[in-house]
Amino acid sequence: MAMRLKGWFAAMLVGMLAARAAAAAGPWDAPAAALTAQIAGQMGPGQAQLMLRNLSSIANGDLPAIRRLLIQDLKVHGITVSGAESANTVRITLSETAHERLWVSEVVQGNETQVAMVRTILDAQHSAPAAAGLVLRRQQIFISHEPVLAAAELPDSLILVGPEQIAIEQRTTTGWQTIKSIPIGQRRPLPRDPRGVIVADTAHFDARVAGMQCTGSFLGAWAIACHESDDPWPLVVRVSGVTLSAFYNGARNSFTGVVTPSIGIDLPAFYDAALLPRPAGNAALLVGGIDGKAQIAESGALKDVSGARDWGSDFAAIDSGCGMGVQVVASGSGAAANDSLRAYELPALEAVPASTPLTVNGTVMALSSAPDAKSVYAIVHDADDMYEVDRVTALCN
Amino acid sequence: MRWTVLRRCVISCALLMLVLPAAARTRPHYGGTLRVEIAGDPWQRPDGLARRLVFDGLTAIGTDGAVKPALAVEWSADDDDHRWQFRLRPGVHFQDGTPLTSVNAAAALNAACPSNCPWTAVRAVGSAVVFVGDAPMPALPALLADDAFRLALTINAEGKTPEGSVGTGPFQVAGFNNSVLTLTANENCWQGRPFVDSVELRVHRAVRDQWLDLSVGRADMVEVSAEMTRQAQQQRLNVIAQPDATLLALQVNDSGPLANPILRTALAEAIDRSALANVIFQKQGEPVAGLLPQRVSGYAFLFPVERDLNRAHELRGGLSLPPLTMSAESGDAAMQLAAQRIALDLHEAGFTVQMVAGNELRTNLTLRRFMLEGGAPGAMLETVLRAANEQPAVIGDGPADLYQAEHEALERHTLIPLLDLPRAYAVGARVRDLRLNADGEPDIANASLEDAP
Repeated sequence: MAMRLKGWFAAMLVGMLAARAAAAAGPWDAPAAALTAQIAGQMGPGQAQLMLRNLSSIANGDLPAIRRLLIQDLKVHGITVSGAESANTVRITLSETAHERLWVSEVVQGNETQVAMVRTILDAQHSAPAAAGLVLRRQQIFISHEPVLAAAELPDSLILVGPEQIAIEQRTTTGWQTIKSIPIGQRRPLPRDPRGVIVADTAHFDARVAGMQCTGSFLGAWAIACHESDDPWPLVVRVSGVTLSAFYNGARNSFTGVVTPSIGIDLPAFYDAALLPRPAGNAALLVGGIDGKAQIAESGALKDVSGARDWGSDFAAIDSGCGMGVQVVASGSGAAANDSLRAYELPALEAVPASTPLTVNGTVMALSSAPDAKSVYAIVHDADDMYEVDRVTALCN
Repeated sequence: MRWTVLRRCVISCALLMLVLPAAARTRPHYGGTLRVEIAGDPWQRPDGLARRLVFDGLTAIGTDGAVKPALAVEWSADDDDHRWQFRLRPGVHFQDGTPLTSVNAAAALNAACPSNCPWTAVRAVGSAVVFVGDAPMPALPALLADDAFRLALTINAEGKTPEGSVGTGPFQVAGFNNSVLTLTANENCWQGRPFVDSVELRVHRAVRDQWLDLSVGRADMVEVSAEMTRQAQQQRLNVIAQPDATLLALQVNDSGPLANPILRTALAEAIDRSALANVIFQKQGEPVAGLLPQRVSGYAFLFPVERDLNRAHELRGGLSLPPLTMSAESGDAAMQLAAQRIALDLHEAGFTVQMVAGNELRTNLTLRRFMLEGGAPGAMLETVLRAANEQPAVIGDGPADLYQAEHEALERHTLIPLLDLPRAYAVGARVRDLRLNADGEPDIANASLEDAP
């Protein structure tokens, strides 16, 4: 008889669990099941009063559902939730630390209290959607714990420049797979705000970090070589197809202001530069000085750009085809926890916002234009110490 | 209880708002001199500010609280955590040019911890530093991030004892004159040169004078004690704070009149933590009865903070005791006031307490502050217990194991947690990107100055 009862109970348990599994699994199913199993192990079948409180970031609106789930799971283990008249009390506290959720139960039976705990991960934060206008759209194409200073996207691969290594990632059906990774081999300590650049096509790349140059060539497989170099870094491809390069101060985090070939104007030390094609076929060079000023070098003169006080240190040109055709996507200079990107047009010497700000999940570490200039790549360092490579495009509206 | 928890959340959130990392949207400038003023000794163990700037540890705690490589790049354990091997970062030099080797690293660790260490022995084995323990040391990588275990060079490349303090950190000592310790940027720091050229650390400066110096532009960063945080905000100082960075606790000598654990329990029940927080620390302290803050353990609410004077009387049971002696570890006014307040609470429970300005080993009760460092909860608990000269149990990985270890430590009632206190600084307008680490120490090496040349 006892065996038959056990068998019936097991069948019922399996049936109830199967029914639970058939329903869409919610985020609270696993911790509720694990905690109630521990509670059952401590108090065994019987009746208990259930008290639930929330000290976590879980919305109070979710509590009735969690309570129902706990009652249901306790029932599976033979514990029936009753009123205050019960001699047993199960106090469940939904708590959390800075890194994880912690559900804590206290089973009170007479003078004895037994504690059980289960932990689960905190939900990822969601960023607000971009607003209307010229709309910037962000697509995450890569994420890693390894620091990324610059990235170049090729048809089926991604070249990542880190402070200490160059990695080639191959796109597969299950995500990115590292097919080659080589150390850059610096002998000097890295600066605290390390930077890098890369220019690439399907057959070659030229990558720079402070004091080092790495070149790659593709002949069925990538061959990569790195060596010490203080040569100027490739900055932008000029309209004529000539690459404008600039000397980088490897002990700091900025360019010295000396560019090659010379553009006939003395530039200040700067953090970033972008080429702005002009309708007449010529081009202007936009530089972001280390003094915080944005200036345009054009027609033999260097002129201040107004309206750029909200800009951070990084920007890149994007040829969206919307509005004036070419915009500048700049990081923000605010003090919020997450950085933002915004598109600007520069009709004369004034930066005019052309989109609403697009919030990113952390700090923008670098911005660069894609080879076709139709999008920009943003390297974002988030609060969890992850590095994202995002492709940002502008949609006409 | 619910109000306590809610209040706790509100205060924590408010302080967290102060410490949210400001992202580096505009790149930091190099150059300039950062002027810092402190009331204490910059070389004081374990958390003197100069120690942080000049020395590094084998490991460090990241902003997310996780252990990360520092002077050691990788580590592994064997023999059931009784033996750990740390491989050193290649190419690192001390500020005087001496290369970092396993020999001088082991010598520095032996000098840093002559007794009551988390390990039994540390020695150089080839290019690695090896720790051996009589007991398992599961939290050793996190413990080594503790300030107490930062490496100061003891033997230089010529086999001599170096003059002054030499480390591998971002700044090196340039001189000490007129109460100002001058530190200059270590150009060859393995973590990269710091952004500022130098730090002038004016020491033993009264907090009121520090604030005055900040207000007239003679200082860039000054201290704000917990009880003065609100006042600093009212004065519109730019305050950065890390909530629950230190634990205020009463250490109870379990020999002599308080050898009976029931009497020690009575002491714990008699103290009115809320009054301490509200009156002495101006609502900036958070009443706690656990050693780990809620943000770290997630279960701190399991240890009730409410005073129960009736139970204290009941536990004391009318016993007649000789007067208990009590001292405050620090001579600052808030600590003295807090100790006097506790003496009053204990008096109401039938204990007679005599305040003495004495050595903690001689008094029955000592009011102390403990740094909440170590990142990982297990390491943080072990660090606090070691600082209290208690032998910590081996702590397992899960939250239930941690709770069990903390519960057992608290059951002894030799360390009575009272308040979690914030650590705060006020900074001038020209300082950029100055953040506090998880333990409330400022990350000066990554700060820069707005008006740097």
